[in-house]
Amino acid sequence: MTAIHLENLGKTFSSFTALRNMNLEIADGEFVALLGPSGCGKSTTMNMIAGMIDPSEGAIRFGDRDMRGVPMSRRGVGFVFQNYAIFTHMTVYENLAYGLRATGVAKAERDRRVRDMAEFLHLTPLLKKPAAGLSVNILQRLAIGRSAIMEPAIFLLDEPLSNVDAAFRAVMRTELKHLQREFRQTMVYVTHDQLEAMTMADRIAVMDHGKLLQVGTPIDVYNNPSSVFVAGFLGSPGMNLVKGKGVESDGIKRVDLGEAGVSAPLPAHLSDSVPEGASVFYGFRPEHCELTDGEGLRLPVTFVERIGARTIVHMGSDGSAVKCVFDNRVPVRTGEVVSLAIDPSNVRLFNAETGAAIGGAN
Amino acid sequence: MASIAFRNVTKRFGDTIAVDNVSFEIADNEFFCLFGPPLSGKTTILKLILGLERPDEGEVLIDGKPVNHVSPARRNVAMVFQNLALFPHMTAEENVRFPLVERKMSSDEIAPRVADVVEKLHIGHILHKSPAQLSGGERQRVAIARALVRDPVAYLMDDPISALDARLREETRVELKRIQHELGRTLVYVTHDQEEAMSVADRIAVLENGVIRQVGAPSDIYDNPNSAYVAGMLGAPAMNLIDLDPDRPSALGGALPLEGITVPAGATKIGIRPEDLTVGYDGGGAGKAVEVYEVEPLGGVTIVTLQSEDTTLRAMVRGQPQIRPSSEVSLSVANGQACFFNGQGEALSA
Amino acid sequence: MTADILEAKVEPIEHEDTRDSRRLGFSLTLPAQLLVLFIAVFPILMQIYISLTDWSPLDGISWWQAHRLWNGFANYTDLAADDRFWSALWRTVLVMAICVPAEFLLGLGLAILFVDNFPGRRFLYSVLLVPMMVVPAVAGYMFFMLFQSGGPVNDILSFFYGAPVTIAWLSDPDLAFFAVIASDIWQWTPLMFLILLAGMVGVPEDQLRAATLLGASWTTRFRTIVLPRMKTIIIIALAIRVIENFKVFDNFYIMTGGGPGVATETISIYIYKVTQQELIWGYVAAVALVILISLSVVSAFAIKRMSQSREAG
Repeated sequence: MTAIHLENLGKTFSSFTALRNMNLEIADGEFVALLGPSGCGKSTTMNMIAGMIDPSEGAIRFGDRDMRGVPMSRRGVGFVFQNYAIFTHMTVYENLAYGLRATGVAKAERDRRVRDMAEFLHLTPLLKKPAAGLSVNILQRLAIGRSAIMEPAIFLLDEPLSNVDAAFRAVMRTELKHLQREFRQTMVYVTHDQLEAMTMADRIAVMDHGKLLQVGTPIDVYNNPSSVFVAGFLGSPGMNLVKGKGVESDGIKRVDLGEAGVSAPLPAHLSDSVPEGASVFYGFRPEHCELTDGEGLRLPVTFVERIGARTIVHMGSDGSAVKCVFDNRVPVRTGEVVSLAIDPSNVRLFNAETGAAIGGAN
Repeated sequence: MASIAFRNVTKRFGDTIAVDNVSFEIADNEFFCLFGPPLSGKTTILKLILGLERPDEGEVLIDGKPVNHVSPARRNVAMVFQNLALFPHMTAEENVRFPLVERKMSSDEIAPRVADVVEKLHIGHILHKSPAQLSGGERQRVAIARALVRDPVAYLMDDPISALDARLREETRVELKRIQHELGRTLVYVTHDQEEAMSVADRIAVLENGVIRQVGAPSDIYDNPNSAYVAGMLGAPAMNLIDLDPDRPSALGGALPLEGITVPAGATKIGIRPEDLTVGYDGGGAGKAVEVYEVEPLGGVTIVTLQSEDTTLRAMVRGQPQIRPSSEVSLSVANGQACFFNGQGEALSA
Repeated sequence: MTADILEAKVEPIEHEDTRDSRRLGFSLTLPAQLLVLFIAVFPILMQIYISLTDWSPLDGISWWQAHRLWNGFANYTDLAADDRFWSALWRTVLVMAICVPAEFLLGLGLAILFVDNFPGRRFLYSVLLVPMMVVPAVAGYMFFMLFQSGGPVNDILSFFYGAPVTIAWLSDPDLAFFAVIASDIWQWTPLMFLILLAGMVGVPEDQLRAATLLGASWTTRFRTIVLPRMKTIIIIALAIRVIENFKVFDNFYIMTGGGPGVATETISIYIYKVTQQELIWGYVAAVALVILISLSVVSAFAIKRMSQSREAG
C-alpha cells in the first residue's frame, strides 16, 4: 500500500514540452484517473511513475521513498498496457506465471497462485491455450491478471478498455471499479474517455497540453469545472457554453446572450463577479434545461436526436448552439422555436478571454 | 432517386448462410440503417446492393427493376468506405473531381456538377486543402461529395465513423443526418453502434445471423421490441431481462413486486429499460431489498448496478443520487413501462 | 458477474467468398508460374539427363545427343566410391559447422550491442557492414596477403612474441584450414549481424517493458522474450548461411586453391576442378545433383520449422 506524490514534475522531449509543473498527491488505495485528449501529457506522467522514462524536472515519491534512479523492475508497479503486451509466444499459464518465475517464486507456490488468479478471472479453461489466438476481451483480462498476480501496491492502467467492444467495456468498467474497491490498491488510470473516468475514479485529474487543469471527485469536477475546457470535456454532450455579455437593469445582473435573449437573473454568488459589459461564457449542463411556456431563452430547434432513453435536442447555431437532453418522449420538432428555462443555481460563468470559471462554486 | 428492395434473398458462403431469406424495402430518400453484431450479415447485404456479390436465391431490385444480373458499374450505387479512402496526394477538389475525370468527361461538364455537390455539402472553403489538412468531419464530407458527384441513385456507407473518438462521433452523426436530409438521396448505412443507429436512421433493420429480426422506426423498435434479442440490442445499458416468479405477482424472487401490473399470459420474463427501473434508496419499498454492486456517476445520470442472487441489473437514475455500493435498495416499475417475453424470447403484448 | 464476459465468443473475421477470386488469381499468374517452372525445372531435367551419360564437351556431340553415351547409373556408383568427393563433402560440412555457429554468436553479440543507442553507433554500424560488401575474390586476396609468411599476421605475432615469427600459414594443412575459415567469418559475420539486429529491433518494446515491470532481469528477458520472438529470423539467418556456406569457393580458391594437397578443398572447389581439369561433365552433373538434393532437404526443414513457429505466433 503506497501513496504517490508527484512534485513539480516536468518532462521535455528535445524541444517539445510534454508535461510541466505537475503536482498531484495520490492517496494510498485511491483510484485516480488522468483524463485528457491525446497529447495532454497523461501517458507521459504514467510512464514516469512506472520508470519507463525519467522526469526532466521534479520528483516522484512512493510513500516517503524517492524514486529517482530506481529502475522500473524494482518499482513494484503493475502496469496494464493499452495493447496489453501479452507474450503471444507463450500460453495463458506461462503469461500468468511470468512475473513469479522471473522473481524466483518457488514452483508449488507459483502454481497455486496462477491457478487462483485463473479461477478468479475465469481463465481456468484457457490455461493451456497459446495466448496468440485469444480474443481481445480475454487478452484484456489476462493482462490484468498477469500484473495483479504480483500483488503490486500500485497499479497503472493505460487506456485498457479502448480496444474492447462497447458492451464488454461497460461490464469491465463496473468490474474494474469493484475489484479496486475490494483490494484497495493505489490505482492510476489513463484515459481520454470522460465516461470511464467519471464512472470509475475516486478522483479525476483533467489534463490538457501538458498541464494539470483540475483535480477533484468526478461529481465535483462535473458540477464545478474550473475552465471552459474542463466544462466541455466532461459530460455527453459537454456543457453548453453560450457567449454573452454582462448586463444590469434595475440592479439585477443578467447575461445578454444575443439572439437567444437575455438570461434569468444571476444568482448572488455570480452576480458580484460579473461587471457590466464583460464578455463571458454562460454555461449550463444539457440535462439542466427545461421547456417552458413562460420566459426563457428562445432558440430554434435544428435537430432532434432520439437515442433510446434520452433525446438530444440541438438548438441555435454557432456561438449560441445549445444541446439539451430530455426524456425520450419530449414533444419537440425540428424547425420550431422553443423557450428554455435554466435554473440559475445550475448556471456556471466563465471569463470569455481566459476561459477560467468566474465566481465561487455554488 | 431510387428505392431498393430485397425479395427472399439468400446468400451462402460455403456452408455458412450469410443472408437468410431476407426481404425488405427501402423507400426513396430514406435513411435506412442495417444494425447488428459482427457477422450478422450487414456487410453482405451492402455488397449485394452494390453488386459485389450475387444472391444465391431471391431478387435484389433497384427502383423496382431486378438487378441480379446487372454489373456493379451499371447499378449506379455509390459507396463511402469506412476509412473514407481519400487520395492523400490530391486536394479536396481533385478528390471530388476524380470520378468524373476518370470517366473522361470534359472540364465543361465536370465544373457544374462539382459546383453543385460542393454547394450542397458546404465544402467550398476547403476545396484547396489536402485531406491531411482537413478535420474528421470535413474529410467525411469530401468523401461523400466524391461519392455523390457521379449522381448515384443511392449511396451506401459501411460503418463510416467508427474510427473517430466518442465526442467527434456524436457530432459527425448529426452532421451526416443533416447532409442526408438536405441531399434527399437514399442512404443505406451499416453500423454496430446502437446509439448511432437510433440517432441517424429513419428506419432500422436489426439483424441476427443473417436474419432480419425487426424493421421499424428507431423509437418504435426501442419502445416495442418484438423479441428479447432486439430489446437487448438497443439501449445502453441494455434492457434488464428478469425471470418472473412462477406463482406470485413479482419477479426476481420477490425483489421486484408487480402488483397492479398487467402480465400477459405465457410470459416468463419481464424486460425493463434501465431508465424505467425505479430505485428506492431512502427506505421503504414493497419488495425484498436488493444489494447495490456498484455506482457509476455520469454527471447527468447515474448508473446503478444491482446484484440479486445470480442476476445483475442496471438502473439509470437521473441526477446525482446519494446511493452507496453495498447498501440495500428497493425496486419498482410502473405499469406500461415493461415488456414481457415468453420462453422463446418473443414479445407478448400486455 | 464476470461470467457474462466468458460467454462473449471469439469473433472470426467476416466471411468472404474466396473461391472465385482464388481461381482468377491463379489464371492471372499462370504465365509467370509457367516461366518460373521452365527456369527452375528445365536445368534440373537437363542435369539429370546428362548425369546418366558419359558426356563431355570434348566428345564433339551436342549435349542433347548425350544419350548416345548412355551409361545408366555408373556415375552414381563411381561417386559412392570416390574418396576425394567424400572427403571434400566432409570438409565442407566441417567448415559449415565451425563458420555458421561462430558467425551466429558473433552476429548475435554485435546485435545486442547495437540494439540500444550509443554515441557513434551509426558510424560503427556502417564500418561493420563493410566486409560484407567486399567482393569475395578481393577478400580472398586480402587474406592471402595477410597470411603470407612475411605478412601482417606474422608481424603482429612477432610484436607480441618479441622475436620474429615466420609461420607458413597457407602451406601447413591445419593452419591453412584455420586461415580460410577466418576469412569466411570475417566476411559473413556482418550479414548475420544485420539480419539478427533487424529481428531484435522488431521485438515489441511493450513486451520487454511488461517483462521488466514484472521483475524480469536482462538475461531472463533475453531468454524468454527476445530469443523466442526472434526464432523465425534466426532460422532464416542460419538457413541462408548454411546454404551459402556450402557453396563457399572464391576466397578459399584464391587463398589456397584447395591446398595444400586437398586440405581446404571444399565441394565447390572439387566440382570446379573436376569440371575444368578433368572435363567429365556427366560425372559432375551427378555430383551437383546429389548436393542439390541434400541442400533442398536442409532448406525444406528450415521452411517447415519456420511455418510452424509462425503458426505458434
